[in-house]
Amino acid sequence: MANYRSIPVDPDLAGIGLRTPHYQAMLATRPPVGFLEVHSENFFGDGGQPLKYLGRFREDYPVSIHGVGLSLGSTDPLDIDHLRKLKRLVDATEPFLVSEHLCWVGVQGRFLNDLLPLPYTPESLEHVVCRLGELQDYLKRPVLVENVSSYLEFVESTIPEWEFVREVASRTGCRILLDVNNIYVNAVNHGFDAQTYLDSIARGSVGEIHLAGFQDTGEILIDNHGSSVCDEVWRLYEHTLQRFGNVPTIIEWDTDIPALPILLGEAEKASRILARNLHGTASAA
Amino acid sequence: MLRDTQISLATSLLEGSMGALSQIRAGKLSAEKRLDVYRHNVFSNLRGALKDIYPVVLGVVGEAFFIHAADQFVLSHPSRSGDLFQFGSEFAAFIQAYPHAAELPYLADVARLEWAWHEAFHAGDSPLFDLRLLAAITAEEHGQLRFILHPTARLIESPFPLLRIWEVNQPDYAGGMNVEWDEPADTLLVRRDASDGVSVLIERVAAGSFAFLSQIQQGATLESATAAALGIDAAFDLQAFLLDAFRSGVVVGIARK
Repeated sequence: MANYRSIPVDPDLAGIGLRTPHYQAMLATRPPVGFLEVHSENFFGDGGQPLKYLGRFREDYPVSIHGVGLSLGSTDPLDIDHLRKLKRLVDATEPFLVSEHLCWVGVQGRFLNDLLPLPYTPESLEHVVCRLGELQDYLKRPVLVENVSSYLEFVESTIPEWEFVREVASRTGCRILLDVNNIYVNAVNHGFDAQTYLDSIARGSVGEIHLAGFQDTGEILIDNHGSSVCDEVWRLYEHTLQRFGNVPTIIEWDTDIPALPILLGEAEKASRILARNLHGTASAA
Repeated sequence: MLRDTQISLATSLLEGSMGALSQIRAGKLSAEKRLDVYRHNVFSNLRGALKDIYPVVLGVVGEAFFIHAADQFVLSHPSRSGDLFQFGSEFAAFIQAYPHAAELPYLADVARLEWAWHEAFHAGDSPLFDLRLLAAITAEEHGQLRFILHPTARLIESPFPLLRIWEVNQPDYAGGMNVEWDEPADTLLVRRDASDGVSVLIERVAAGSFAFLSQIQQGATLESATAAALGIDAAFDLQAFLLDAFRSGVVVGIARK
């Protein structure tokens, strides 16, 4: 067991999703970011460079472990090998947050390795609630669950996405990793009001926020994490903080990854909004 | 039912069938286009994973050929894990049987080498061999010892000049591009450098040493591994080889009986 020191998370300081192209620049400059979030599956190996680097970062920053591959919503049984590796990583890294997506990535043992949406039905709700219970029992710790972006809606869906997300949180006690960009993308793609979504989520149930950029194809918004955060999403972020208070926030950037200072600039922008919220609206609320 | 919905969508996305269309709400965008968005995402993720693991294969065949092969591979050997680093282990076998690659007989071996590199990059760490282990063993027992190779060690044999092909296709390679095709078979050891614990090394080892290491990896005793090495190279020097293997971290332990 590593036994890292516990590093307090500064609620005013946004973090970043840490990706390999930034390792060297991060180690060389050690910029003041609130925390680092990594994709769990990138550290599922038994040893070598990924874990060595993660250990070095963990000495200086709080770390959040974010899964993209557990396939929480799949009707296949949970992959025990995946769970075992996740638990090993969590035990070794001592992250302050562990999260997964409210989606499925494969079925019948075939994986598509993409975050596929669920039909929002009582059956799906029951299933996801059950699976989150299994996950938390296995890890022996609470996990956060993230709302995903989507490009389709199922005919069979009977529950609005925001009610589904709220219900998952209320029935499992899991806090929500609220991806504000995903809410915006879905609001545009499916034609609903993003504010309605935010207002439906219970106060106190949001444990983390994600911000990212999307691609506009002209027909649909694709959540590609490939650009800076757009103005509408920054505004929605302000509304989110007004409702939920200051919540640990990261910027995600996964395609066309820019030089580190540009990513840090986005995080600083989020930090300024967090600081304003702390000294302004939150006290008035 | 949720399961039916998932199976239908997964099948439509992977196999290009339209079965899932009736489950998808159209809107300002048709259900077909919505499926296409996901199909594009799925295939670019999976191709991307293969490109990351097989950059030399990609460099040899080029983007268009690679994508065509990758898409066929996704259908015949679907990803079986939410961990994309697991995806692609059968790519070498796929290439071996892929008709379009028939004119590149060395390509499957290149893929085997790259998979070995990928595995070595992620495999477990190990301390160096503890020489005190040997002190507790009598000379009569030596022949029956079973050594353990470093968890990252992978052995690759090829009738082609595989290491040379790999070298000239590295992004930072600046030398000449000539490959001598009539060199003897390549016997390669892939492993992580014990001194930094992270760099992957590809080394050419002598045929006798290669036979020895292959035997050890399969769990053979020191006696039979040595016999195999001497059968190939009468000058195989066990003592010198072992000392070097201990020091460089190729052999890291003794298996318990």
